[in-house]
Amino acid sequence: MKINPKLKDDLKRFLMDKIQEERSIVTVYSASLLSEDDKKNLTNKFRGLDWGKARFEIDKSVIAGVIIKIGSRTIDLSLLGSLSKLTNTLYEID
Amino acid sequence: MENLGIDIKLLIAQLINFGIFFFIIAKFVAKPFTKFLNEERNKDEEKVNLLDKLKRSEEVAVESEKKMREKVKKELDIIFAQSKKEAQEMKGELVKQAESDAQDIRDKSKKLLEEEKNILYREVKDKIVKTSLIIVEKALKESLDESSRKQVTNFIIKNYQGSTKVYEN
Repeated sequence: MKINPKLKDDLKRFLMDKIQEERSIVTVYSASLLSEDDKKNLTNKFRGLDWGKARFEIDKSVIAGVIIKIGSRTIDLSLLGSLSKLTNTLYEID
Repeated sequence: MENLGIDIKLLIAQLINFGIFFFIIAKFVAKPFTKFLNEERNKDEEKVNLLDKLKRSEEVAVESEKKMREKVKKELDIIFAQSKKEAQEMKGELVKQAESDAQDIRDKSKKLLEEEKNILYREVKDKIVKTSLIIVEKALKESLDESSRKQVTNFIIKNYQGSTKVYEN
């Protein structure tokens, strides 16, 4: 079956846009709902991110702090992350 | 002669008889007998000679056997000395080899022990770290109430200096 080239291009463009959009979507995971003050601070600290479509989700395993996901990138500012870092440090110590 | 009682004819006949007897004896008895005696004497002499020869050859044989024995003894002594020396050398090499093998075994055992120790150490460390992490995580989850979590979150965000690593998934 032959696909219409225009339709193919449109579909490709749509998918690329979607991927780009997904890449720039910011998701913030925290143990409890963030206050407006926290959100404001986050916006100020990470000015380069697109906070317009940011999603704020609750994840109890974070314990405290936040985990910011931007597409495939992750910025871990949580206690869970700190514990994980501490674990790695302990493994590195002989 | 007749007055003397000697009969000439009888005497002549007796002389002829004696001559014939002498001839017969000399011809058929004395000669073979002498020959036989000579032969016997020769045989005896040969026997004596042979015995002498045998005696001499026996003496020579005994002498050569004695020499041979001495020679064999000397050779045996040399072989024994060489064997002893070779055995000593072999013993030395075997001892050296055994020592080297023992050292290898000791080294391997030490290495194995060290590896096992390290494995055990890593396992124990892993368990301690995991257990500690579980304890700390549980303690944090249980000890931090909602407001404390919020305070901690607020503190973390406020004090963030931009040095956190960014992970790529």
